[in-house]
Amino acid sequence: MSKDLICLSGCSMAFDDVVVLDNVNLNIKDKEFLTLLGPSGCGKTTTLRIIGGFQTPTSGDIMFDGVRINDVPPHKRTINTVFQKYALFPHLNVYENIAFGLRIPKPGPDGKKVSLPEEEIDRRVMEMLEVVNLKGFEKRRVSQLSGGQQQRVAIARALVNRPKVLLLDEPLGALDLKLRKDMQNELKRIQQAMEITFVYVTHDQEEALAMSDTVVVMDGGRIQQIGTPEDIYNEPQNAFVADFIGESNIIDGIMRSDGVVEIFNRRFACLDKGFDKDEAVDVVIRPEDVDIVPEDQGQLKGTVTNVTFKGMQYDIIVDFYGFKWLIQTTDLSPVGSRIGIKIDPDGIHVMKKSEYSGMFGDYSSYSEEYEEIGDVSIEPDEEESGDEE
Amino acid sequence: MKKQRRAGSRLLMGLVFLFLYAPIFLLIVFSFNSGESSTVWQGFSLHWYKQLFHNRIIMESVYTTLLVSLLATVIATVVGTFAAIGLYSMKRRWRTPLLTINNIPMMNADIVTGVSLCLFFAAFFQGWRSFARWFNEAQDMMELPVRLTLGFATLLIAHIAFNIPYVILNVAPKLRQMDKNLVDAAQDLGCTWMQAFWKVILPEIKPGIVSGALIAFTMSIDDFVISYFTAGSATSTLAMTIYGMTKKRITPEINAISTLLFVTVLVLLLVKNMREIRLERQASRRPAFSPADDTASARVVRFSPDTRRTVKRIAAVAAICAIAAGMFTLGGAARSQRVVNVCSWGEYIDPELITQFEEQTGIRVNYQTAESNEALYSLLMSGGGDYDVIVPSDYMIAQLIEEDMLAELNYDNLPNFSLIDDRFKNLPYDPENKYTVPYAWGTVGIIYDRNKVDEELTSWSALYDDKYAGDVLLINNSRDAFGIALKYLGYSVNTTDEAQIREAYALVADAMERNVFQGKVMDEVFQKMEGGNAAIATYYAGDYLSMVDNQADNVDLAFSIPEEGSNWFVDAMCVLKEASNYEEAHEWINFIASTEANLANMDYIWYASPNTTALEQYPAYYEELYEEPLDPEVYEIMAAPQEVLDRCELYVSLPPKIRALYNDLWITLGI
Repeated sequence: MSKDLICLSGCSMAFDDVVVLDNVNLNIKDKEFLTLLGPSGCGKTTTLRIIGGFQTPTSGDIMFDGVRINDVPPHKRTINTVFQKYALFPHLNVYENIAFGLRIPKPGPDGKKVSLPEEEIDRRVMEMLEVVNLKGFEKRRVSQLSGGQQQRVAIARALVNRPKVLLLDEPLGALDLKLRKDMQNELKRIQQAMEITFVYVTHDQEEALAMSDTVVVMDGGRIQQIGTPEDIYNEPQNAFVADFIGESNIIDGIMRSDGVVEIFNRRFACLDKGFDKDEAVDVVIRPEDVDIVPEDQGQLKGTVTNVTFKGMQYDIIVDFYGFKWLIQTTDLSPVGSRIGIKIDPDGIHVMKKSEYSGMFGDYSSYSEEYEEIGDVSIEPDEEESGDEE
Repeated sequence: MKKQRRAGSRLLMGLVFLFLYAPIFLLIVFSFNSGESSTVWQGFSLHWYKQLFHNRIIMESVYTTLLVSLLATVIATVVGTFAAIGLYSMKRRWRTPLLTINNIPMMNADIVTGVSLCLFFAAFFQGWRSFARWFNEAQDMMELPVRLTLGFATLLIAHIAFNIPYVILNVAPKLRQMDKNLVDAAQDLGCTWMQAFWKVILPEIKPGIVSGALIAFTMSIDDFVISYFTAGSATSTLAMTIYGMTKKRITPEINAISTLLFVTVLVLLLVKNMREIRLERQASRRPAFSPADDTASARVVRFSPDTRRTVKRIAAVAAICAIAAGMFTLGGAARSQRVVNVCSWGEYIDPELITQFEEQTGIRVNYQTAESNEALYSLLMSGGGDYDVIVPSDYMIAQLIEEDMLAELNYDNLPNFSLIDDRFKNLPYDPENKYTVPYAWGTVGIIYDRNKVDEELTSWSALYDDKYAGDVLLINNSRDAFGIALKYLGYSVNTTDEAQIREAYALVADAMERNVFQGKVMDEVFQKMEGGNAAIATYYAGDYLSMVDNQADNVDLAFSIPEEGSNWFVDAMCVLKEASNYEEAHEWINFIASTEANLANMDYIWYASPNTTALEQYPAYYEELYEEPLDPEVYEIMAAPQEVLDRCELYVSLPPKIRALYNDLWITLGI
């Protein structure tokens, strides 16, 4: 992981005056696994399509290896894409799907278009079939493959061209949970084996955290945060990131001094510094960082209003002064019981106020929110891959 | 109960199919009949098919039809496919209304499409004429043709126009089913848009394109109405030719060609449906996956080996058609460039004469027919006819001369004019005989079926008699219908006295009120009288003789020229002022005026010849040909003796005011 391979600087994109990408600056390093993460319509697919060459930014530049490529059409970029729902060619079999890119004559060193010799094509296709574990499937029609197998054909079809960058647009979205986990490992393995850059688009934060070297969280056409999965999870920059990555209780607080934050009129020790005195802030407390103690020993006291058994732990909702928290614990506290909580200084993360303040972090509408989070097979981003062209 | 009901519904179903297919079945069976009857089976024979392939007019229209259909299909398929792709890449808010607009022409009545295209072409030609004139005057480098007419090109354009929506309708759903990312994927893998089109889009939408093309081809072959309005006078598709042939009577030849047409369309439809069934079966044969895979597999119907086979078969059929068309084209190219465009009446020439003339002179004859003088006149007025020679009747000739539409003939190039009997020269319609060469002459009389009328009819009164209510056919042109009424009332057929004409009108209108007339007919009179479907009609003597020849067993036709007198007429060949083949027109007229041609024609059409020798020699000619003497009574009906002609009047052209009155009254009559 060394130099920057792709640089987006000040990229904006508007369709019919609707801004879908707003001044995006992003550097992608060589050989890294970078994930664009965000909800539907956040601009992640558009960013990917700009890199792939399917869309030209309304303003801003995209550089590849130091060269501006705004106007270079997709077929002239050394970038390949694995599409949402794979876009395999139904009229070709597995072998021909993978060989598709190799059969297109490419300009040789002297500028004349040359086709690869048939033996070379065969060698590379077979090599790729091995990489994606599909040996023996070459004569199958793509319609005879399972979803996971189609997925692998799509990856092989893209990788066989030896691109410098592979773009993956929600590639696991159509697979069931079990298969998704397997494919995550598979993808990571392939990326490391081939030593190329992956730019991966997903709305699934777990997937993003599990696979990426760098995660880019996007919302409303803007980048909210760029960082390693650990940074993103532990040090979210605003309420949106905190809420989108994992579960978070986000509470209004006041920074009394370095290392001291006040919530619900109680002062808590924390590790955060560099805020103005008495600055209003958002405070993030992850559900697993809360310790339940007897009521009289607690820094805060509340009533349990809901308990859900999750296997490894219980998710309990606790009402503190009308604000509902999500707490994950291994000890059962029945509904209606009074409990106290303690939070260690490293369990508290203080963020500057942002436009997202007050929008997230309250679990009073717990049940509905859970359903939404649980719905992983979200529809493809209509407004992004839809009708603009 | 239940069983009964089921039997009942089966019976009903059977009846429906019987009703649908019996006529076609009958047609097919009788196309193999060795006899001429279309009701009595006289043994199996391929005679009519053989005849068919020797009928130049039919074969030419088959060629035209195949060529037009193939070209229109190819062009419409290419244009329609790209149009569908264009539509598909539009935003939905544009695409949906445009697709609806695309559907409208298919729902539109053919006649509206036909007429509007015809108007459109006429308007374009008008504009072109001004432009070409201006252009030719402005420079000397090149000369643009000033006069454009309806013809093969307009026919082709019309067919392309009405085929495109069908192609779009078939291709659009395939595009919709196609994964939008496929094109992106192809480009991503190194294709330009054009390569992506050939390698990915085309294979994906091919089933749609093929079925679109098949439908287009079927529609093209099948079309009559739109072709009728856009083909002009010199081009004729198979459907148009069949229509022209059926005006008189349905000959077994028509059965044969209709059978072939039916089989062709049937095969095309079968091919199309078999394809669809195959594709469907394949779609359902695809293995089912876990629910998560549904989105991925619910994509496009795929090509399997057996579909490929079907596609190959279709390609083979298309190739055969193309080869056939190619052969026709070669044949066409070998033909001479000199042509003469003739417009005459139906069944009014021995077709052998056309062949003979072409062989002798190398001039190609484009032979068309009109239904009546009035129809011909309006055709000429609308600029629809692109003819050189026409064969109108006396009064119409006078009118055309008056309106300066006829060219003076060069009689030096018409030596056979001297063979025409002096009785038929310098007649009132062309007093100095500068424009015409007589073609045939005859009388109008009353034709009746002795099995329905038990008296000798010697007066026109029978036409208006309640006794024959519902059994009388009124001749479907104002001049003849009112002329006969005038004669019956004792007036001249050429009267300009409005009161007399109104009286004649009242006579006809009153009879109509009393439902004496079964209908107004021209050439349909043949079927009606021959088949015993009417008792009395007014028509031409020559046609009566032709009817007798074809009358059904239970019919016994008779003919008379009533005592009150009648109309006699001369049809003469004229050359139009706008004719583009003046020389060739003269060669044709001279050829037709020869004694040999007149004898052949007289034998074929049963009208009297104006050629002195031919008229005299005909009985001998007949005897030699048929080895039996000609019935003198028949000869008398054909060529009315002078004393009968003395009772009859020749029409003269009426003044415009009277013509307008005729027209108004005729329209008032309605039906």
